[in-house]
Amino acid sequence: MSPAEIKFYFDDQEVIGLTGQSVGAALLANGDRILRKTRFNEKARGVFCGIGVCFDCLVVIDGLANQRACITEIKAGMKVQTQAGADA
Amino acid sequence: MHNVVIVGGGPAGLSAALSAAAAGAPVLLLDSNPRLGGQYWRQPDESFGDQGSQHFDLETGLLLINAVKARKEIEVWSGAQIWSATHKDGVNTLRVLVNGKEKIINTGNLILCTGAYDRTLPFPGWDIPGVMTPGGVQSLIKGHGVLAGKKVVVAGSGPFLLPVAAGVVKAGGSVVELLEANKSRRWITSLFVVLENLSKIKEGFYYIKTISEAKVRARFGYAVVAAHAGVNGELDSVDVAKINRNFKIKKVRNVKCDVAAIGWGFTPDTTLAGTLGCKQIVAKDGAVVVSADSNQQSSVAGVFVAGEITGIGGSELSMAEGVIAGLSAAKFVGCKVEVLKAHRARRAKKQRFATALINSYPIKDGWKSWVHQETIICRCEEVKLKDLHYAIDELGATDSRTAKLLTRCGMGMCQGRICGRSVVDLVADQLNVSPTDTDRISAVNRPIITPISLGQLAAGE
Repeated sequence: MSPAEIKFYFDDQEVIGLTGQSVGAALLANGDRILRKTRFNEKARGVFCGIGVCFDCLVVIDGLANQRACITEIKAGMKVQTQAGADA
Repeated sequence: MHNVVIVGGGPAGLSAALSAAAAGAPVLLLDSNPRLGGQYWRQPDESFGDQGSQHFDLETGLLLINAVKARKEIEVWSGAQIWSATHKDGVNTLRVLVNGKEKIINTGNLILCTGAYDRTLPFPGWDIPGVMTPGGVQSLIKGHGVLAGKKVVVAGSGPFLLPVAAGVVKAGGSVVELLEANKSRRWITSLFVVLENLSKIKEGFYYIKTISEAKVRARFGYAVVAAHAGVNGELDSVDVAKINRNFKIKKVRNVKCDVAAIGWGFTPDTTLAGTLGCKQIVAKDGAVVVSADSNQQSSVAGVFVAGEITGIGGSELSMAEGVIAGLSAAKFVGCKVEVLKAHRARRAKKQRFATALINSYPIKDGWKSWVHQETIICRCEEVKLKDLHYAIDELGATDSRTAKLLTRCGMGMCQGRICGRSVVDLVADQLNVSPTDTDRISAVNRPIITPISLGQLAAGE
């Protein structure tokens, strides 16, 4: 058995991830390392702690802001967007 | 009705669940991860197949996980996020989000096994995408089958850097530098501790064999002291410094890499225990831990604690503490069971090894000289060192709590989990005093266990 492919979207681009992968992991595997821009200095941020502690990998998922990419599992058809600032 | 509620499905929580259930107590095990095992035995979806090659000892983990699953007295809630907790008159109330639905648990008998996360230190450029914690790099490999980058620098201090470097090599990456800040390997001198813990030595050699086969050589007395982004805003290179015994920079050179995995040991996650009123104390290395008696009971009757939150000690000590916590909790709810001498002896042996290890990897004060005025200290609120200094020098802050309130340093989404410990050190440094235990404990005081959005709550029941 090998993991099934799951299709989702990052900033409207199609991305293929594998069963059970987090949004952050699937995006890193796809070469996407910048997940948001900070609200004051507009600095790029990505996955840092990888285990849900640091809240640095925040993205917008299906319209809901401030979701931790590193601990949110990908689902087919999910729409993930780069988060700009607090984006709430 | 569950007699014993356990929080955390890692080595301590799994062991506690098994011993409590074996003693006759029904157990509810809450775990925030999608799969049991904690950070140590983290695994991807089962469709990825055998993951043994990414672990030194996955067999033990699988034995415990399968035993927990097989016991009908143990109910497991995976993906359970506790967002709020209160304690009143012997009853602990946990508000938990499970698959988007809120559930409320009231219990007098809790075992907290909430583990630890990588300790990080701020330095110029540590917020650039590509700079990560070693635990983060490892969790991507173990939990998702993803290598964060091809050219990886592994740096910081502590024995955990070895399995991370070995994991990168096994996943097909290249470890361009493996840097341990400390020079001494003083634990070799405590020969008795080494001899009675040969399994841990075997584990060390297993990693060393893997990384030396890939021709990676560890360098001692070196650290990453700055990171630089390329034009795309992602990590392009790091400054590697030869440092002295106190971590002061002697000589710097630049190294190209995609990923820098940098960690300085671990910080116990005592948030939940603290919120419930469990007494916290400051360990010798400055970490805030939960105080536990010989039965693993915290200062709150009926709330037991095991694993890394009582002091960093690794999986084997966590398991030994978990067994005792499980038995004690079962006894607390009326099961006829006693903690045996053998259980305490096993814990003492693992504790001696953990203590020897922690003493071998001190984090020296010189790291503060790597931080510049423009360096981000609080990643969430983008507070710089100069902002902290302004709060102290111009606004009159006389402790880290006031400096925090004046700058919002440590008041963002992570609630100071990442910067809190460093802020206490940096503020004390500017005031030219030593941090007090009160400073350290107040830095880990968090009103919310996990911040969640109102949207998530509204989506629940």
